[in-house]
Amino acid sequence: MASGSGERHFTGSEEAAIDMTTSEKVVDLLNQAAFMSTDDKLTALKQVQELIINKDPSLLDNFLDEMIAFQTDKSIEVRKFVIGFIEEACKRDNELLLKLIANLNMLLKDESVNVVKKAILTLTHLYKVSLQWLVQSKSVSEMQEACWNMVTQMKEEVLALLDSDNDGVRTHAIKFTESLIIALSPRKPDSDVPKKQEGDISLDKIPKDHSYIRYDVLCEEGKSALEQLLKFMVHPAISSINLTTALGSLATLARQRPMFMSEVVQAYETLHANLPPTLAKSQVSSVRKNLKLHLVSVLRHPSSVDFHSQISTLLQDLGMAQSEIARCVPAAAQPRKRSRHEPYSEGKRIKIEPALIEDDEDKEEPAPVVAPKPSTTTGTQSAIDLTADFIRPLLTPENVANLVLISMVYLPEVMPASFQATYTPVESAGTDAQIKHLARLMATQMTAAGLGPGLEQCKARGEEGKEGEGEASMEESSSKDPLIIRKVSAVSLGQAISVVGAYKSQPAEETPQAKKLPEPILPSTQSKAPGSSGRKKVFRLADVVQPLSDSQLEKLTNMAVKRILQAEKAIARSGMSHVRVKLLARLMTQFEGTMKDDMLRFILEDMRTRSDLAFSLLYQEYNQYLSQLPSGSLDSYEHCLFSLLSGLQERPEQRDGLFTKLVLEAPLITESALEVIRRYCEDESRVYLGMTTLKELILKRPSRQFQYLHVLLDLSSHDKEKVRSTALTFIKRMYEKDHLREYIEKFALNYMQLLVHPNPPSLLFGVGEDTEVASPWTEETVRQCLYLYLSLLPLNHRLVHELAAVYTEAIADIKRSVLRVIEQPIRGMGMNSPDLLLLVENCPKGAETLVTRCLHILTDKVPPSPDLVERVRDLYHKRVPDVRFLIPVINGLEKKEVIQALPKLIKLNPIVVKEVFNRLLGTQHSEGSPSMSPLTPGELLIALHNIDSTKCDMKSIIKATNLCFGEKNVYTSEVLAVVMQQLMEQNPLPMLLMRTVIQSLTMYPRLGGFVMNILSRLILKQVWKYPKVWEGFVKCCQRTKPQSYSVLLQLPPAQLISVFERCPEMREPLLQHVRSFTPHQQAHIPSSIMAILEASSRMQEPEPQREPEHMEAMEEREMHPQQVMMPVAQAEPPAPSVTAVHETVPPQSGSIKREEEEPMEEGEADLERLQVVSEATTQQIEALKSEPGTASVPQEKAEEPMETFTKSADAADQPQEEVDSVAEPETPAGEAERSREEED
Amino acid sequence: MPSQPLRVAVVCSSNQNRSMEAHNILSKRGFDVRSFGTGTHVKLPGPAPDKPNVYDFKTTYEQMYSDLVRKDKDLYTQNGILHMLERNKRIKQRPERFQSCKDQFDLVITCEERVYDQVLEDLNSREQETFQPVHVINVDIQDNHEEATLGAFLICELCQCIQHTDDMENEIDELLQEFEDKSSRPFLHTVCFY
Repeated sequence: MASGSGERHFTGSEEAAIDMTTSEKVVDLLNQAAFMSTDDKLTALKQVQELIINKDPSLLDNFLDEMIAFQTDKSIEVRKFVIGFIEEACKRDNELLLKLIANLNMLLKDESVNVVKKAILTLTHLYKVSLQWLVQSKSVSEMQEACWNMVTQMKEEVLALLDSDNDGVRTHAIKFTESLIIALSPRKPDSDVPKKQEGDISLDKIPKDHSYIRYDVLCEEGKSALEQLLKFMVHPAISSINLTTALGSLATLARQRPMFMSEVVQAYETLHANLPPTLAKSQVSSVRKNLKLHLVSVLRHPSSVDFHSQISTLLQDLGMAQSEIARCVPAAAQPRKRSRHEPYSEGKRIKIEPALIEDDEDKEEPAPVVAPKPSTTTGTQSAIDLTADFIRPLLTPENVANLVLISMVYLPEVMPASFQATYTPVESAGTDAQIKHLARLMATQMTAAGLGPGLEQCKARGEEGKEGEGEASMEESSSKDPLIIRKVSAVSLGQAISVVGAYKSQPAEETPQAKKLPEPILPSTQSKAPGSSGRKKVFRLADVVQPLSDSQLEKLTNMAVKRILQAEKAIARSGMSHVRVKLLARLMTQFEGTMKDDMLRFILEDMRTRSDLAFSLLYQEYNQYLSQLPSGSLDSYEHCLFSLLSGLQERPEQRDGLFTKLVLEAPLITESALEVIRRYCEDESRVYLGMTTLKELILKRPSRQFQYLHVLLDLSSHDKEKVRSTALTFIKRMYEKDHLREYIEKFALNYMQLLVHPNPPSLLFGVGEDTEVASPWTEETVRQCLYLYLSLLPLNHRLVHELAAVYTEAIADIKRSVLRVIEQPIRGMGMNSPDLLLLVENCPKGAETLVTRCLHILTDKVPPSPDLVERVRDLYHKRVPDVRFLIPVINGLEKKEVIQALPKLIKLNPIVVKEVFNRLLGTQHSEGSPSMSPLTPGELLIALHNIDSTKCDMKSIIKATNLCFGEKNVYTSEVLAVVMQQLMEQNPLPMLLMRTVIQSLTMYPRLGGFVMNILSRLILKQVWKYPKVWEGFVKCCQRTKPQSYSVLLQLPPAQLISVFERCPEMREPLLQHVRSFTPHQQAHIPSSIMAILEASSRMQEPEPQREPEHMEAMEEREMHPQQVMMPVAQAEPPAPSVTAVHETVPPQSGSIKREEEEPMEEGEADLERLQVVSEATTQQIEALKSEPGTASVPQEKAEEPMETFTKSADAADQPQEEVDSVAEPETPAGEAERSREEED
Repeated sequence: MPSQPLRVAVVCSSNQNRSMEAHNILSKRGFDVRSFGTGTHVKLPGPAPDKPNVYDFKTTYEQMYSDLVRKDKDLYTQNGILHMLERNKRIKQRPERFQSCKDQFDLVITCEERVYDQVLEDLNSREQETFQPVHVINVDIQDNHEEATLGAFLICELCQCIQHTDDMENEIDELLQEFEDKSSRPFLHTVCFY
């Protein structure tokens, strides 16, 4: 016992363990599945299905909900899987149908056709399963009833899907119908029963006394399904696949339910003669092939024996050989004598009508055995047969010929593919058999069309039969059902032979209702009509109601509308918002008064969500206006639009673009609306949005674009900078559009034209500002007129001429302002602009300042282009000889021209002169490439020295040279050395030479040696002949002592005397200097000089030995190249040396050094030249010695002028008079001195 | 596009040339494809038109290959049969007969009308169970190497188009019409049910 119980316990726990693991596994899989990709999910779910359906069905219920939850999965495949699972689960446990059928119903309405198809397939199986389950239940619960109701409903839905738009869905619906018909019809002994379907439910297994399932209802449903299938097949536009499917289904039906054999064969016959005209050629072949295949399969069925003749005729028509057909006929069928299948009729009634047997027309059939036909199958059979019989004698050659002729009229233009495919030449024309075949063909057509005597008779019989609670035969339906007849007849009406294929569309079905309800409907409508008319007499609305007072009416209306307004949310929930919106819009436009304002306020409260209402209202208003054209008024519309727009405009910042949307979608923008848009644009925070809207309007509403454009243009001179600049940006973009360009341009020019008025027009002031007082132009108002113009200028250079025109007429204040504001746009145009060049070339009178300003702006940063220079030069030479024009392009001129213009230039305002020099010296363009000045700094300075004093006063020249000396980094010691060198070589010597020498020395004391050299050379050039230069010479010697002693010693005695006359204090030091010489050296000093040195007033002969002394000095100079400054006590005279200068200049950066080296080398070269020249001049000097007295120079009063000289050199801003006194070449004082000297 | 790949069967009469060529290409393009023959035997050209080499469906390609090598290596090299068998060996072991295969397909493509008829007959003679539809399309291909290659490409293109339809059953009709126009050869097409 103990062991037994222990063992049981053990097994129990083991089972539990297995349970746990299975269940755990399922949980695990389900959890994983939720997060898996579709493929993995399917794998996991399949595992779960296997586990809970096959391995451990007890778990099925537990995990049902979890599995079904996947029916809402995104993936189609997963949903399809769930359907499969439902099927499996329901098959495993029928009770689950109660739960799952609703889910299947949901999936049947899935959005994916693939899911729907799968659901149909599953329903095909589950329909039978559920029927069987119910049939087996002893008592049917309410739940089961509900379940079955739903199944029945779903069945109807699937049947309705025969009309689906989707080919595949229809195909599945056909298969469902097939299976349904088989289930809802009884299995008979001669039925083919597929092995696997042996257990399936069929009508014969349903007890007729079942508590819930009603045999007769199901039977009717089955028949109705067959009807639908047959009806479906004759649809003229049926697709080839549907047709193929239906053909197969019919064959299945015929074999499994032979009682339908006649319907099937007849359907085949009809189809064969009426292939849908929509089929393509290859589809016709496919369908015919299928038809053949299925006919053969039907033929093989023993129960088809009665239809062999029809079937073989069809097969022959399809191209099958007689022998082949014979092979397909089952041997058992040939001598068939056994009992026919029972006539299929519902319920217990099996009635054989003798009349039908009489109608039997099978005599002609080739079937070997002619047996009495069962009554029911002959139903239509006989209808066709009867008609065929009726037709046959009528088919005389004459009649046939007529028929052919008549039908010719109906032939289509092109031969239909179906005809082409089915046409076989008639081999046995005119034979009895052929006539019989033809008669039968026609009879088929006529019966299908609801015509012919056979049909009439059958119908009569049908009526008869119906008395006895409905006749069994299916064909009956076609005679009983008026709708079907109408439809079919419509199909074949316009054609003699259906192969012609000129089908017409058919009306919709609704057969089942029409079948049952035709009779009862009529009496009820008849009784209704008199009833209502009778009531009309009694009941008059006016009798029972009182008219409301106006105020009541209004109140009620208002309240009604308010209710609709307030019902917003409730209606939205019901999904009928659009109806409410439409309703409100309609109502509003019909009522005047405060209601509209209320509604507008309501909309504005939450414009975002109520925008559809707003639009609807707006359109309705506009519509109203249109409908009343031409007398209609826009007021109402305008009010609506205006209120909405200003409502939005006054609201705080919103980023939802509703304003834009409203503007752009409004059918018409009225003046006031435009005003609101303008206000919107003026709001700095929304200016961009506003102008974008405006832009859209301009571009998308071409009919009034200029009106909109005008607003935008107006804004371009707005006070607020942001508004203005945004407007300008937009306008510039629009200016690119050709059709807008002219308007914009005109506007801009008009605005600029305002500048010619003496006072700013009131237009320039915002609305409301009182401007009747003629206020003067201000910078601000001038700018206002120019904003738009100036922003267009760089886009269209041609406009610049207009500016010039306006400029000449404008007053001075405006001119000044204009000159200030044009900088940016002119620079934008650039000096290559042909229009600017043209302006320069033409230079309208009065616009010179403008042109000059333009030139300055253009050349401010970049050197002038040759083109520009050319124009300016032309202008200067031919039309306006104002030298100021040349300044901007001065660097583009040639050297000669510059030199020519210099006298005029330096006479200008000092600031201007400074600028000119800056340009010439390249000190202006700090950035960019060094300007290509036509003059080197040295050349400039030389040019200044050479200016003809008749053309320019000395004062200006001195100021100009001072400017040069101011640029210390341009005028380096090297440059100055070269300048001095060159000046010195000129003949006559420039008046300012010594001034420059002294100034150079002041700037660069290390030039001392070089200056000594210059001085020596000047002696050779008999410097004393140029009074001003001589004066400077002496002054220079004075300043450079003791270096200059050696120079002084070179002077001829007369000149030395002149020196001492001017500065007597020099004599003693010079004497001391000489005395410090060695005796040998002293021997070289001519006695005449010594005499002068020792006695100041004595005149001496020039010393003949000067030359060697001079040569010696030169040698000495070369011997001491390093010495720049000599101490006073030193015996040797200091030697000016260019090399020394060169070496003392500290090397700077490489590039600069290279630049400097060039002039340096030049300097050296010049020095060498100088030496050569000086050798030559010494000879000249010797020649001059013969006339000693001539070189005498006044020596007094040299001090004062030289002082002023240096002073002015130190400070450029020296008072003019002092400089003048020095610069004046011939002073009365000088004259006086000279005369005094002569007296001496 | 349906998320699951189409299950395709290509069928000719001996499962040697046309169906195998298509099988080869389709499998390279990633289709779930199988190939079959519908004949009662596998026939390969022999030394004379009336003396074919006949095998049953159990014979592997390898065995056929060695058999032919043994018989006349030069002849069968020259007419490409050995090369074809070589290719077939790489794809599967032996030919398969359509009628003996109980697996389900979405699409069956036949290579000549006779084969199409046989496939239809077979499918229709089976007992219906699931009502799962299978589309059968016939593409006429002559039984030689060149045509087989061309035909295989046509089949492949067709399959790719079908695979890319959103709703195959709804669009296949139109698609086939287009293909007919394009390739100017008629396609037989029908649907059967498992």
